[in-house]
Amino acid sequence: MILIKCPYCGERDQSEFANGGEAHVVRPKNPENLSDKDWGEYVFFRNNPKGIFYERWVHSHGCKKWFNVVRNTSTDQILKVYKVNEKRPDLTDFENTLKSPSGEPIVGSGNFAVKK
Amino acid sequence: MSAINNECSYISKNKISFSFDGKTFYAYEGDTIASALLRNNIRLVGRSFKYHRPRGIYTCGIEEPNALVQIISEHNEPNTRATIKRVYDGMEITSQNRWPSLRYDFGAINNILSPIFSAGFYYKTFMGPKGFWKNLYEPLIRRSAGLGKPPKNFRSKSTHQYHNTDVVIIGAGLSGLAAAKKFINTKYKVLLIEQDSYFGGILKNSNKVKTINGLTPQEWISETEELILNSKNITTLKNTLVTTYNFTNHLIALEDKFAGKKIDLNKSELTLHKIRTSNTIITNGHIERFISFRNNDLPGVMLASSFEKYIHRYGVVPEKEPVIFTNNSSSLSLLKKLVSLGCKPKAYVDSRKKDNIETEIKKILKDNDISFFSDAEIEGCDGNKKIETITIRQGKSFTKLKSSMLCVSGGYNPDIHLFTQSKGLVKWDKNILSFKPDTPFQKTITLGSTSGNYNFKKLCDEINEKLSILKTKKVSLDINLNVPNKFSIKELWETKKKSNSNWSKSFIDLHNDVTIKDLKQAITEGFDRIEHLKRYTTNSMGTDQGKISSINSLAIVSKMLKKEISEVGTTTYRPPYAPLSFAAIAGRSTYEFYDPERKTSIHSWHLKNNAVFEDVGQWKRPWYFKASENETMHQAVQRESKMLRESAGILDGSTLGKIEIKGRDALEFMNLMYTNAFSKMRPMTSRYAMMLGEDGMIKDDGIICKISDQHFIATTTSSGAPKVLADMEEYLQTEWPHLQVYLNSITEQFSTFNISGPKTREIMMKVFPNIDFSNDAFPFMTFKNFDYKETKIRIMRASFTGELGYEIYIPPKFGLELWEEIFSCGKEYNLIPYGTETMHLLRAEKGYIVIGQETDGTVTPIDLNYNWMIGKNKKDFIGKRSLSRPDTSREDRKQLVGLLPINKKDIIEEGQHIVELNELPKKITNPIKYLGHVSSGYHSPNLNHSIGLAMIRGGKNLFGQKFFVTVTGKTKNIPVEIVNPVFIDPENKRLTS
Ligand SMILES: [Zn+2]
Repeated sequence: MILIKCPYCGERDQSEFANGGEAHVVRPKNPENLSDKDWGEYVFFRNNPKGIFYERWVHSHGCKKWFNVVRNTSTDQILKVYKVNEKRPDLTDFENTLKSPSGEPIVGSGNFAVKK
Repeated sequence: MSAINNECSYISKNKISFSFDGKTFYAYEGDTIASALLRNNIRLVGRSFKYHRPRGIYTCGIEEPNALVQIISEHNEPNTRATIKRVYDGMEITSQNRWPSLRYDFGAINNILSPIFSAGFYYKTFMGPKGFWKNLYEPLIRRSAGLGKPPKNFRSKSTHQYHNTDVVIIGAGLSGLAAAKKFINTKYKVLLIEQDSYFGGILKNSNKVKTINGLTPQEWISETEELILNSKNITTLKNTLVTTYNFTNHLIALEDKFAGKKIDLNKSELTLHKIRTSNTIITNGHIERFISFRNNDLPGVMLASSFEKYIHRYGVVPEKEPVIFTNNSSSLSLLKKLVSLGCKPKAYVDSRKKDNIETEIKKILKDNDISFFSDAEIEGCDGNKKIETITIRQGKSFTKLKSSMLCVSGGYNPDIHLFTQSKGLVKWDKNILSFKPDTPFQKTITLGSTSGNYNFKKLCDEINEKLSILKTKKVSLDINLNVPNKFSIKELWETKKKSNSNWSKSFIDLHNDVTIKDLKQAITEGFDRIEHLKRYTTNSMGTDQGKISSINSLAIVSKMLKKEISEVGTTTYRPPYAPLSFAAIAGRSTYEFYDPERKTSIHSWHLKNNAVFEDVGQWKRPWYFKASENETMHQAVQRESKMLRESAGILDGSTLGKIEIKGRDALEFMNLMYTNAFSKMRPMTSRYAMMLGEDGMIKDDGIICKISDQHFIATTTSSGAPKVLADMEEYLQTEWPHLQVYLNSITEQFSTFNISGPKTREIMMKVFPNIDFSNDAFPFMTFKNFDYKETKIRIMRASFTGELGYEIYIPPKFGLELWEEIFSCGKEYNLIPYGTETMHLLRAEKGYIVIGQETDGTVTPIDLNYNWMIGKNKKDFIGKRSLSRPDTSREDRKQLVGLLPINKKDIIEEGQHIVELNELPKKITNPIKYLGHVSSGYHSPNLNHSIGLAMIRGGKNLFGQKFFVTVTGKTKNIPVEIVNPVFIDPENKRLTS
């Protein structure tokens, strides 16, 4: 259970929130002009990286507001919380603050509990 | 034979009695089940998981792999660790996993059959033939696996408690108490958590420490405990086990509120503590590990420090003349204690070279004339249900000794479980031959033996130094020892076998009956990654999680693979640290508190009128009303359906979701959310509407009332309301924040009644004499507001039955009164109440769909032939673009059709398949072509035969054709004709009458 800082209410337990998947996927303005493939990309495809992820959360058992979160999916470390209308932070803003318990690669899996 | 240590001051002298497998034994208050059994010379306490081998008490704590018992007093709690659970007067205990009795266990034949139970046996053995799994293997495994039996008729009252603190100290042993002392009267809010019912840890469990600051260990504990208790900033929890260490320093701990007492069933027996902290200090010590040798599982084999703990802490000497087998320096304190009590160990076997063994040990052995084997090991032990003989190997010679107990010490592992749960990194330490914490990931500090520091003299400096990052006081610890200051150990994980027999086994995991041979076999078969190996052999997957053996298995595997142990790595440590009862996790969220029940304002009337209820979401809805005691559901639904189409019926529709949509851009918003076009719709009219997902699939439906372009009321399905509101809110906030629209859930602001049937108009005119219900004044799909007594009501002309119908909305406060008024007016017209089942039947006769019945998340409005609902001229709405995707415009998609049985007596069952064959083959060899399924099937009392709605591939073009519907348990299918799905009043004459 991680702590999430709702930009409207403050820091609360994860159980008060619901995850809304990848952020900054904008609904196309003119869907009818899109090819089937492009529309399919919008409807069905989302990124699922190991590492830094821009994602949406909603304070569903609270103020019910949607907001965006930058989370390191390999450690659950939350790097930034910002409102829907705020500018998407740059990836380079976080590179220095990133910590990974085992120095494991951003992509891939494995168990690295032992320090070499 | 066991003996009593009368010097022990920790155990009460109050004698109590308890029963084990029906026999009565005595104990002292404060005894655990295990110490009490040892006190009574009971060695055999259970049978093992796979081979049903006799097992005894192996340890004296949470790490116990064998001594699991069932407590049949209280609530039949299974898999209880005898080494933890305290006895109380009158406690009834049984052993587990044996039949017919512990001494003569039928399942022990598995031991002889052991070749088929080797590594991966689950995957290899139970593979076929077809049907064997369901009828033979599964019942067999279920009966013989799984140790205890689940509790019955027990309602837990466990609770949850939340904490927010600055510091949590896990474990109140020597290091934990010393650390806590540093926080006395500081600004930090501290929580000190101890798993046991007393503080002191190793100080009370062993003879290792002689004095601290000139005080006896007990004096020092009492002094320190008092200081801690008097410090306002420190809270203590005893009998509380930290099971989980999550991200953001979130801990979960389980408190046993009735340790040593019989549970009061009226009180909360467990408390689950959920803790948020800024800093975590782990001081939960170390766990001794065993050594694998032939029959290292026989009752009588016990870890040396556990043996010492029974003497020191419980005043029981499990055996006066045990053999001691060690590879390290720690057994000195046990040796000293035994000798001081006048007990003489049969032999002392040390795998270290004579020169490396401490002089003090050698002196005691010599002075007391104890057989001494250095550079030696235990080859194995033998006996019937207990150790009888022990074979020692020294070089090439073997010595066979008679003894009933063997104390084993294979070294100590820092208890890194919680530290690795917190994502801290561990490192192999060659000096202690174990993993120890290295780099914490969170604000985690480990102290004492948890951090791999086995040197008591260095403990004080370690604590002061590591806690210097916080503003704490200095502590001093001047410790005098009964053990060598420097810990010395020689690597030894398994010993060589001399003899081989089918019965003889060398175990690596006692809980799950995994042998060294299984590890070798798994590696031979290619499972050389530790995580794969673990799952294939089930090594360390028991409820003890291999606490005394998992490091041993890593070491043995690394030797087999010729790799460094740090290369092999550990398996992942996962919460909980020890089994956590489901009751504790559930807390108060059980039974009526699990999910609240929602009832309408008419509920009391439904109860009085013999309604049978159905759960719809959280709502209790009348399913049907029983006209008489003996009326079946089928009879009731047939009666209700017939009466409604003949006269009139009324349904409590208060559960339907209602959402108010208001604001400058409400019209634009509604046009985007729903398939329908609302722009040309006149105010005070309503429309049946559909909401799609972006993939074009139907999500929900309902009636939309338009009051004005700035004000709509949408109804939703009863269970879909929260989701529809959440979806609307999501689009407003994230995609269209420029739209000025406000949403409000008004489901509970209104009681809603749906009254329909040919006599409805007469009834309505009688209830509301001032309202003109004529077709001209009040046409279909319009609504109006009226004053009614001291309140306001809204009446809408709409119908879900296909008959003339009205929906009445009234504040719930006045709901019941109006409902009763309608009934008194409707009596002369035979007005009946009806439930959801009749509603479903009537709408099926009319060919109306139900979300979740005809639709399943893969159905578009086009599939239902509801093209008229799609606002084609609208530029955009949710899901519009997807309706022209190649997949959604396929001709052979499943489409809605009606089904009529060709033989009018046949019954079409819901959920059946539609096929081309009139009869299924007796034995199905090739897949049978599947055309679709029956989504709704009813006997229509108004047509007097069965009808069905079905989703069939390319159904739109199949009207008039003949297919077959399968029947449960039969091979002969029913012939049906595909028809238009409207069975009653296709011209809508009744609807608009
Ligand atoms: Zn909030």
